[in-house]
Amino acid sequence: MRCGRARRWMAAALDDELSVRRRHALDRHLARCAACRDEMAVSGRLAEALARLPMTAEVPAAVEQATLRRVRMLAADEGERAPWLRVFVPALATAGIVVLAVLGTLRLPSGRPEARSGTSQTAAARRSEKPVAVAEAGRTARPARRGRPPGPPPALAAAPELFVDLPLLHNMEKLEHFDAIRMTTLDDDTSGDARQSNG
Amino acid sequence: MHREPGPVAAATPAATMASVDPDVALMLRVQAGEQAAFQELFRKYSPRVLQYVRRMLASDARAEEVTQDVFVQVFRFRARYRPESRFSTWVFTIATNLCLNELRRPERQLRVDLWDDRAEEGRREGPSLADPAAVGPEEGASARELSQRLDAAIRQLPEKQRAALLLSRIDGLAYTDVASALGCSEGAVKALVFRATQSLKAAVREFL
Repeated sequence: MRCGRARRWMAAALDDELSVRRRHALDRHLARCAACRDEMAVSGRLAEALARLPMTAEVPAAVEQATLRRVRMLAADEGERAPWLRVFVPALATAGIVVLAVLGTLRLPSGRPEARSGTSQTAAARRSEKPVAVAEAGRTARPARRGRPPGPPPALAAAPELFVDLPLLHNMEKLEHFDAIRMTTLDDDTSGDARQSNG
Repeated sequence: MHREPGPVAAATPAATMASVDPDVALMLRVQAGEQAAFQELFRKYSPRVLQYVRRMLASDARAEEVTQDVFVQVFRFRARYRPESRFSTWVFTIATNLCLNELRRPERQLRVDLWDDRAEEGRREGPSLADPAAVGPEEGASARELSQRLDAAIRQLPEKQRAALLLSRIDGLAYTDVASALGCSEGAVKALVFRATQSLKAAVREFL
């Protein structure tokens, strides 16, 4: 046996994991090799020294208290999300969605034809060669909404070529808060800015 | 050296495991939400975990924080514990993962340097116990010096070698449990321990 293999087997021998046959072979090698015999003795003493190192450390009371405090907070958080609550809340949300869907289905038959005609007229208006007439057709199809201007200013009405295709004109309500949105930055108080711009 | 028995068969029912292993019984009580059982587990295992983490991180302050984190994780993920595996394996797996995460944090180097400055001032656990076989003060002093040299040499080992050596040689976990904690094969653990042992022998040979 070569010394390299003997040294690999020494570790297994110290763990009592070497087969009897290999243990005999190792012993025969150790009997005639002083260097490996010395190495085996050093390995044994090292294993003993490692085993004598303290396995535990004194845990400061503050560490125990801090850990238990964190665990109590964790348990309290979990308690707030009790199992019955975890089932009840999604069930309630699902029931609400179902109710809203049913209500929406019941109300649709009266609103749908009008909506469909309005949509088709708007689409036809977009395809039309005469934008002013189309815009007027769209306005007649849709009921006028509160706050929406009745028509373009006279200066613009006199220049129909400017009305090429402006779908935004049909969605003026979306622009009501345009100034507030434009003026708001992440650092601003949104409600305050909105009040300012509206005021 | 204290070494724990091998893993128990996975098919054993939880009740049987709890009757065989008191830690499993405690952990089942923790799973049921009993905080007194958690406190008992903490008092039983935190000294071992703290010592292991301290040797892994070489920093007393961080070791205390990470030990807290280990037990908070034990509580947070208590539902994931399976009674088929030993509690010690599970807790040392968590500890090892947190230590390796901590060691890989980029800002850690500064903390290690700060700790190194006061490394020789004496640690809270004090010097290792004197060799019981030693008869005189000289032998006791030499055993203490060997322990200090060993601790210093362990700190110099690569992190995985250090973890494998500490878990198998000092905490007495079976190779298969160390493999589970490190997420590698049993053969890889033996290789890590062999290389770590060779490095330690070279570092402290004159004291052996």
